Amino acid sequence: MAVNVQGMKTWSKLAKNKRRPSEYEIVTTNLQTRNRHRDQAYELSPAPDLAMNEWYRKNVFDSPLQHEDWEEFRDPDQLIYRVYTRTQDVQESYVDGLLDDHNEIDHDAGLKPEWLDVLEHLYTPRRYLQTALQMGAAYLLQIVPASTLTAAAGFQEGDEFRWLQRIAYRTRELQTAHPERGFAIKERERWEKHEALQGLRELMELMLATYDWGEAFTALNLVAKPAADETMRELGSTARHYDDHLLAALVDNQMRDCDRSRRWSTALVEFCAGHGDNKSVIQGWIDKWMPLAEKAIITYCAALPESEGVADTAIERLHAYHRSLSISA
Amino acid sequence: MALLKMEEWYDLARETNWTPSYASEEELYPETMSEDFGIPLNVWETFDEPYKVSYRDYVRAQRDKDVAAYSVKAALARAEFFKNASPHWKALLALHFSAVCWAEFHSASCFGRMTRFGRAPGMRNMATFGTLDEIRHGQIQIYFAYEFLKHDAVFDWCHKSSKTENWIIISLRHALDDIAHTRDGTTAGVMLNMGLEQSFTNLQFVALSADAAKCGDHSFATMLQSIQTDEARHAQIGEPLVRILCENGRKKEAQQMVDISFWRMWKQFSALSGIGMDYYTPLEHRENSLKEFMEEWVIGQFGRTVEAMGLALPWYWDYLKHDIATFHHAQQIGVYVYRATQWWRPIASVSPAEREWLEEKYPGWNDTFGKCWDVVTENIRNGHYDKTVPAPPPLICNMCHLEVSGVAGGEWQPVDYHVDLDGRRYHFCCEPCKWIFELEPARYKGHRSIIDRAFDGTIGPELDDFLNYMGQSEPERGVCGYDYQWIDGYDTPVAAE
Ligand SMILES: [Fe+2]
Ligand SMILES: [Fe+2]
Repeated sequence: MAVNVQGMKTWSKLAKNKRRPSEYEIVTTNLQTRNRHRDQAYELSPAPDLAMNEWYRKNVFDSPLQHEDWEEFRDPDQLIYRVYTRTQDVQESYVDGLLDDHNEIDHDAGLKPEWLDVLEHLYTPRRYLQTALQMGAAYLLQIVPASTLTAAAGFQEGDEFRWLQRIAYRTRELQTAHPERGFAIKERERWEKHEALQGLRELMELMLATYDWGEAFTALNLVAKPAADETMRELGSTARHYDDHLLAALVDNQMRDCDRSRRWSTALVEFCAGHGDNKSVIQGWIDKWMPLAEKAIITYCAALPESEGVADTAIERLHAYHRSLSISA
Repeated sequence: MALLKMEEWYDLARETNWTPSYASEEELYPETMSEDFGIPLNVWETFDEPYKVSYRDYVRAQRDKDVAAYSVKAALARAEFFKNASPHWKALLALHFSAVCWAEFHSASCFGRMTRFGRAPGMRNMATFGTLDEIRHGQIQIYFAYEFLKHDAVFDWCHKSSKTENWIIISLRHALDDIAHTRDGTTAGVMLNMGLEQSFTNLQFVALSADAAKCGDHSFATMLQSIQTDEARHAQIGEPLVRILCENGRKKEAQQMVDISFWRMWKQFSALSGIGMDYYTPLEHRENSLKEFMEEWVIGQFGRTVEAMGLALPWYWDYLKHDIATFHHAQQIGVYVYRATQWWRPIASVSPAEREWLEEKYPGWNDTFGKCWDVVTENIRNGHYDKTVPAPPPLICNMCHLEVSGVAGGEWQPVDYHVDLDGRRYHFCCEPCKWIFELEPARYKGHRSIIDRAFDGTIGPELDDFLNYMGQSEPERGVCGYDYQWIDGYDTPVAAE
């Protein structure tokens, strides 16, 4: 054949990079189409004729958070789908083992009544909280202006759903062991009305109603999710004192996922902090959302037994996380 | 084992709606993103996904699928296959991968909209898997495409095409953005899952996979099948949604969602799979034609599904039966003659033996589309290669953004479908494309086709301007994949130099 066929070393868009691209970069970069034209994120009538183009212009192109090329963002974990499923399969096997072992020894039957009260009010209703986190991540992944961001938020959504289902699982087990209690029946009512959960619910609902992509990212990944996760961590430590080693171990495992979310969130802040006003923009949003987060932590932790100083510890960890971000002076 | 069975706890994981009080319904479910069609929440909560899977089982099953698809042995076999593959097969791979990688990855965002803005907890959870699946489909296919890049630079378009203004990419983006990315969570759920996944992914994946296996590309075949198992699972979001709409007085809306999205996707698949199956698949491996696949999988199977849900067959069903035997033949001519506008190396695939196959599968082909190819063939035999490229630009449909075509030859029936609106004339290739435009002109009227852009000054006057605008630098302009040698099958050239 006279046709001249030549190969290439790597994608032309990655050719300028000094390092050889990783599998993550090869399969995750540059797959977004909606970040090309300010008025026409989608290939239909431009804004304002098409509501979705108006939405994207307002919430992404005109967001106070700006960067000239979001597609350059990289997840520090370089997580790709096939590694995600492999890693989470191993973690889920571990969780299966935990559940199996504890079921074998009739763990739930031995839990103290005062601890069962805590589980009923502060643990099993958290499947609603996980739903809010699942929905929050789902908004992020569909609005973010880079495919590397969609992937990171997508895996985060998977994680939130993972723990939603595990809480549902535990709820049924606890109900079976303690049918006279409110397990599997009263969670919704408690999520809507129990005082200790209202701070978290308020934080979640307001976070979900935030549509500017930068603020939605900040509200969810820098404030609301870490705050919710810190309350989970405190629940887990308390569980140890009440011989609920199962919950303690589950929480430890859940924190692995939360840490991954913090790693890419930290990286995103670092990625854009040096540009324009981004530092003060992000700091402004954190300042706006922190009072709600602190209130949520305080109301939740106050309902924990042995609650002395617990909320302060949790809030301090949240502050420490914020201090670790590239925006802090 | 003292583990609970999934059925014992599954329902709790989809009792997850609560009544918000810190933010209003409207704030949480804004109109652009969310539409409940006036159906009460407790009805949406009856959404029941036919295929249930836990996160736990999902990650295990998906891990296993990927172990098979990414095996090193398969990669070696694939590299070997590619080196020996014919220009037919290379054109097919380049076309497939440059269109699907980003398109699939993008679907993750559509499922994200269903999760965030749909009203049914069961759908929220299924769509979470949908998001993960589509990240997989984007990544695994671009991984395969990357392996070919070192042999052939045309595969660079698998990565770069998403951001270009190439006319084929505009066409695909327009269709997908219309059905999946600019609709509210419920409508997108129906349109993507019914109009694309339930109806056509079968065509692209099952059919292409069978062709791939016959061509000896077993790892490509396995990968495609593995993708289709995901599609078949998450596509089931569509049916319960349609049922809920129909049972609650919204049958008309559901019907319209299916009719619009099915047509939009048909046009895409007609060009993509149609050319792939009837022209780019090497002759010795061809078995079923696009028409035969469409008759069995789509007109038959999908048609029955639509009726079983209580909907009518789309109003254009008879026209579709005509279109499956014609549209892609016309597109194939356009794709070949305007080959510089493509990034891959198009092939004509009209050697005498191939024409025989086409005539057998599409009686009358020789007297219609064949007549156009007679002219192309004659020009090549006379060495008039430049004459095989038409000077005037084609007319492009303002809906599907493919070439406005008819049936060539004796039965040529040029029908000018158009709409005049606000001083602009919009052209359409067919009645259904025009119908979609007229349903919601505001959605479409501000968009400019590649030809509109050539005439409104967006693109410079020279052919080079046009090609560069589309992202076609000189080495990225398609040339005949056989360097015209496909005519060797005809008699000795009349006046070859
Ligand atoms: Fe897919
Ligand atoms: Fe899909």
